[in-house]
Amino acid sequence: MSAAGTASRGIRILSKAGPFLICLALWQAITMLGITDPAFLPGLGAIWAAFRDLAGETTLWVDLATSLITAALGLLFGILIGVPLGAAMALSPRADGFFGPIIKATYSLPKSALVPLFVLWFGVGGLTNILATVLTTLLPIVIYTYHGVHGVPRLFLWSAAAFGTPRWKTLTRIILPAALPAIFTGIRIALGFAFIVTIAAEMIVSNHGIGKLMFFFGDSGSYNYMFAAVITIVVAAYLADRAFVIFTDHILRWQEPAERHA
Amino acid sequence: MRKAAETIALRIWDGVRAVYPLLLLLVVWELVARAGLVRPLFLPPVSVVLERLYVTATDGELWPPLLTSLYRSAAGLVLAAAVGIPIGFLVVRNRFVAWFVDPLVAFGSPAPKLALIPVFTLWFGIDNLSKIMLVALTTVFPFMLSAVAGARTVALNQIWAARAMGSSEATLLWRIVLRAALPSLMSGLRVAVPTALLTTFTAEMVAGGGLGGALIMAQRYFESATVYAYLLVMLICGYLFDVELLRLRRKVLHWYEG
Repeated sequence: MSAAGTASRGIRILSKAGPFLICLALWQAITMLGITDPAFLPGLGAIWAAFRDLAGETTLWVDLATSLITAALGLLFGILIGVPLGAAMALSPRADGFFGPIIKATYSLPKSALVPLFVLWFGVGGLTNILATVLTTLLPIVIYTYHGVHGVPRLFLWSAAAFGTPRWKTLTRIILPAALPAIFTGIRIALGFAFIVTIAAEMIVSNHGIGKLMFFFGDSGSYNYMFAAVITIVVAAYLADRAFVIFTDHILRWQEPAERHA
Repeated sequence: MRKAAETIALRIWDGVRAVYPLLLLLVVWELVARAGLVRPLFLPPVSVVLERLYVTATDGELWPPLLTSLYRSAAGLVLAAAVGIPIGFLVVRNRFVAWFVDPLVAFGSPAPKLALIPVFTLWFGIDNLSKIMLVALTTVFPFMLSAVAGARTVALNQIWAARAMGSSEATLLWRIVLRAALPSLMSGLRVAVPTALLTTFTAEMVAGGGLGGALIMAQRYFESATVYAYLLVMLICGYLFDVELLRLRRKVLHWYEG
């Protein structure tokens, strides 16, 4: 890349970071001028010190790992169940007739409300939180897979049939690749949901995880630590989303860029 | 006459077909619970849950927490719409606002904002205000994004025509931009309303009050039937709002095809 190219890239990144820098500067100015109670709004320096303190101990990393594993397992099972279910509903009217009403009826239920119920069944943390995450991630994945498979051009299917392609091969070689952009969009939405529900479940009842950590610091009045934990999980969610977009763009590099995010 | 009877029978058949999986599920639930395959603490029979729902609805136990939750959701939504929609329109009309807002929205929109429950409790207390503000924060993004998408659909020559005929900026915004953005705004509302309910119920489960708090209390006292009954209420709330929103959309957008 040429020097001019690098420079313009640098300016672009700086221009995007500008609003964040302004917000942080405002935050710092407010805390330094003493407009607010420092306990309610700790300065950036205090939060950074709290983060370094936390990062030096294992608790933060164990809790972060717990949250990330819960979210990842929830998403994984959401995909493993959701993609076949969505595809089956799109391909078979009978499956659609059975699962359609169930999905419509449960769509509007806030899944985090199931946490207290799952606690009765499976106890605190662990399976309870994973299950709540699975149920939440399932819906967007099913819906986007359904629409993706529905949207596969008929012409592709007719051509495959005309060439005598076996059904299984039609599914793996034609339907799934054609529906992939939509499926990835569903998974990206589900990824965001996975973080939300994992943290919510940990805040409602749990012994581990970042949600629990944040709540603990908030309860005990160590607000700079609480802010450090909140920022940690928000940044982790952001990085996960970025990584997924990069992964998607790589897998779908054969597609027109405009059609990648269906 | 015969034809009318046939259509009625057909409609009933359609109705049954639309809900039979749910009825089947409820029957299986009832049978499993009645047969004693699981402890009633884990899964009380449907009939017991419905009875419990009826009792809480008639003796008034259900209504105060439900109304509290709905008030919090509604207030947060109004606040989010009042802030988000104008900012969305400004993003389209003003390059500086776009420069400032776009990256913040790109970061904030997918961020897990429920992580801020402890922060908002600290800033705005454990009562209504913290929940309302959190709902406003989680729903401001769908409003803003749909306002941007909607305002982008306004045809430039419509704006030029209105200007040429001497419309003021306010008239332009009210008569043209807002009208053109309405379909998109309705879609935004359909995302925002369930998000508002989710935010309210979750915040209440963590920090108390409302139907979410009532659900947690019921669970702590192992009143399983009440837990299921309140879950059912949350589900019905979300469902009814969605149905009503779709109806509102058809009514408001009768001129809009697609």
